Amino acid sequence: MRKAVTGLRAWLVQRVSAIYMLFFIVFLLVHFLVDPPNSYLAWHDWALSRGVSIAASVFWVALFAHAWVGVRDVIMDYVHPIAARVFALALLGLGLVGAGAWVARILWLGRG
Amino acid sequence: MKLSIFRFNPERDKRPYMQDYEVEIGPHDRMLLDVILRIRAQDDSLTIRKSCREGVCGSDAININGRNGLACITPVGGLREPVVLRPLPSFPVIRDLVVDMTQFFAQYHSIKPYVINDEPAPEKERLQSPEDRAKLDGLYECILCACCTSQCPSSWWNPDKFVGPAGLLQAYRFIIDSRDRATQERLDDLNDAYRLFRCRTIMNCTEVCPKGLAPSRAIEKIRLMMVKNSL
Amino acid sequence: MRRPVFFNLTQIQMPVGALTSITHRVTGMLLALGIPYGVHLLDLSLQSPQSFAQLTGVFQHWTFKAAAILFIWALSHHLLAGIRHLLSDIDIGSLLPAARRSAWIVNVGGFAIALLAAGVLL
Repeated sequence: MRKAVTGLRAWLVQRVSAIYMLFFIVFLLVHFLVDPPNSYLAWHDWALSRGVSIAASVFWVALFAHAWVGVRDVIMDYVHPIAARVFALALLGLGLVGAGAWVARILWLGRG
Repeated sequence: MKLSIFRFNPERDKRPYMQDYEVEIGPHDRMLLDVILRIRAQDDSLTIRKSCREGVCGSDAININGRNGLACITPVGGLREPVVLRPLPSFPVIRDLVVDMTQFFAQYHSIKPYVINDEPAPEKERLQSPEDRAKLDGLYECILCACCTSQCPSSWWNPDKFVGPAGLLQAYRFIIDSRDRATQERLDDLNDAYRLFRCRTIMNCTEVCPKGLAPSRAIEKIRLMMVKNSL
Repeated sequence: MRRPVFFNLTQIQMPVGALTSITHRVTGMLLALGIPYGVHLLDLSLQSPQSFAQLTGVFQHWTFKAAAILFIWALSHHLLAGIRHLLSDIDIGSLLPAARRSAWIVNVGGFAIALLAAGVLL
């Protein structure tokens, strides 16, 4: 069980999150080309509309998962001493959780 | 022809050094090994492992101008001079161009490179359809020369935990063998963070394989089988 | 018994695919390090009309434009290389000649997109 979490599972998380982010980025790009928000209000209303903020939240979750797997792989390759590795992984986890809390506050608590 | 060759004699040298050689190429010297043997005729202290001299035994794998290959099937014609010869990167050097392959073979053994089948043996042999036999093409030809594994960055960083391209090519060779009954165990054995999943599909393995095989493709196929089996 | 190891990255040849791969890794690290900065920009853009105006002011600064071009290069290379891997996973372009070609396309494509972005921004 634990094995599957770090092998195939991590690889699948990386691929699935990549595909979602790819589509989201294309969606963003198309929106900015077709109908670029030209004022604070237009941007605010679009970005915090229900559909967009849900899609964006999924994007951020995908990004954090993707970054976790990717940076974890880099750490596993280059950082071998156990203490340094645990420290690096903890730093990465903390950073991602912190960024996640920040995003949640922006997208879901800052409405008003 | 000018060459620059990695030299190290553990009984004499504190550290390795590069030695320059210049030899006249003979009319029948078509491969790099021919030239190395000509140098050896002048300087018999130069050590290299060789046996079949035709790309079948895999013992003369070395790093040629930065790229791993078999000296015996590398034509001298296309080589940039001075030809720089070094032992396989990241492998411990025993002497000159000869490296210690212990860890490489330990990884190979770890994938159980033999057909596992506990069913009662038939009277003659375990038959295989021509189609099933064809699935082994591009896999069974591996001669375990270690060119791929020694050129693989994932193996450089975790040689003890990552099986490496040569071992994984062989793992796939047994995974898809219709006579083998341990497919699921083999897949489970490779499913951790290191044994297979250190591979980042850099494809250096496929670039340098002197037999033209594609270990990176075999690894991708194992991953796809894992995905299918987990659904 | 002493056993030296030959391992000098400047003396080991790096095929085009390896260059694509290490750049995929480097750009991935750049993008990961850029996450807090990205969240900060998102925050500024949504906080208030004042912070939004402040942000559009920052956009005009050359250091921001330089960072944006670097970001666009990193993102385009990382995306293109990622698409190359996803296709390779399902057996598209996973053999050597095609993989070499696609590696070139990724390396050049990332730069081309960054150049295009530079042309638009500067």
